[in-house]
Amino acid sequence: MNSALARPALRSLLLALSAALAAPLTAQAPGDAPIDLAQVANLVGAPRGRELAGDALEAEAQRVSSVLRCPVCQGLSVADSPSTMATHMRQQVRELVAAGFSEDQVLSYFEASYGEFVRLQPPLRGINWLVWLAPVAGLALGLGIVVWVLRGATATGRTPGAAPAATASPAAPVSERDPLPEDPALAQAVLRVRAVAYGWPGGRRPEAR
Amino acid sequence: MNRKVLFGGLLVSLPLVILLLLSLGRDPHQVGSPLVGRPAPHFTLPVVGGGESVTLESMRGRTVVLNFWATWCVPCLEEHPVLAAGPRRFGGDVVFLGVVYQDETADVRRFLREQGSSYPSLLDDSGKVAIAYGVYGVPETFFVSPGGTIVDKQVGPLTPDLLAFYIDRARSAAAAPSKSTS
Repeated sequence: MNSALARPALRSLLLALSAALAAPLTAQAPGDAPIDLAQVANLVGAPRGRELAGDALEAEAQRVSSVLRCPVCQGLSVADSPSTMATHMRQQVRELVAAGFSEDQVLSYFEASYGEFVRLQPPLRGINWLVWLAPVAGLALGLGIVVWVLRGATATGRTPGAAPAATASPAAPVSERDPLPEDPALAQAVLRVRAVAYGWPGGRRPEAR
Repeated sequence: MNRKVLFGGLLVSLPLVILLLLSLGRDPHQVGSPLVGRPAPHFTLPVVGGGESVTLESMRGRTVVLNFWATWCVPCLEEHPVLAAGPRRFGGDVVFLGVVYQDETADVRRFLREQGSSYPSLLDDSGKVAIAYGVYGVPETFFVSPGGTIVDKQVGPLTPDLLAFYIDRARSAAAAPSKSTS
């Protein structure tokens, strides 16, 4: 059977296999006693889920590892970090998930030793609400400012809260539609700009339309 | 308009200023351990150089100094004499235990042969115990009261004075278990 395989193909297959098996293999390395499940259960209660194996175990272990922060790299999850500490933590997550501990129980176990810091998603409690609500509040505030500014722009020269400009302008007297600064020199300048920009003769709006 | 800008600026900057003021006295490198004041996690680990495994449980009734270290860690080398002198200095009611993390057994043996050792060093190859104790790096030292409660955690090398200070606290925590701040 093996002789039928071309050698380079065999080698790359073996490489891929060893990479894929690296984590499970080290987990079973001799001298590595499994995690003390009784002590974990003592901290977070009896396993709430069912025992897992095979693909389901790998998928769940990967999922839980990805929301667990690697303590030594801080910005990375345990699933993403190449550090030794993260490798060890991945093994533990795998053992715990295999024994049927739920995601929250696994996170709580690590939280007991490292603090809330190990959760990549801060749980919804206490001051953490701020983390979740602040962006929403910021967005609402920003939207409010945009609306406020836009309304100010359409109602040019009017105090906020006055009737919208669109309905008022056609009927309003000429002097109110195109207000001028009180300073005569400035008013002249504004008229010149209007003449250039809009092509109004003398900077005044042509009445006929 | 200026008043509006001032008001808006204050609205944005005031929470930040308050947050900074609240954190002014804190050391950003000192991430508090949630384990202080709680029962020390149990463990049984093999001893470097063979012999019977050591169980934390069997140390009940004595103050335990649990030092996480590695041969590649320079501050660990610095504090080694302080810890090595510990057993003679503090007597039999204080137990010193080293836990080697992320290291090679051969290196550890050589280190102990060259630097001397006066208490057991334990091997934590899978990092199980280090993780149970929330260890970030080495050296970190935990002080466990005779009742089995973690009284203090020191991050970084110990000096003789610090060691005496923490051991005193752990010893006197015997009467009043749990409840301690760091």
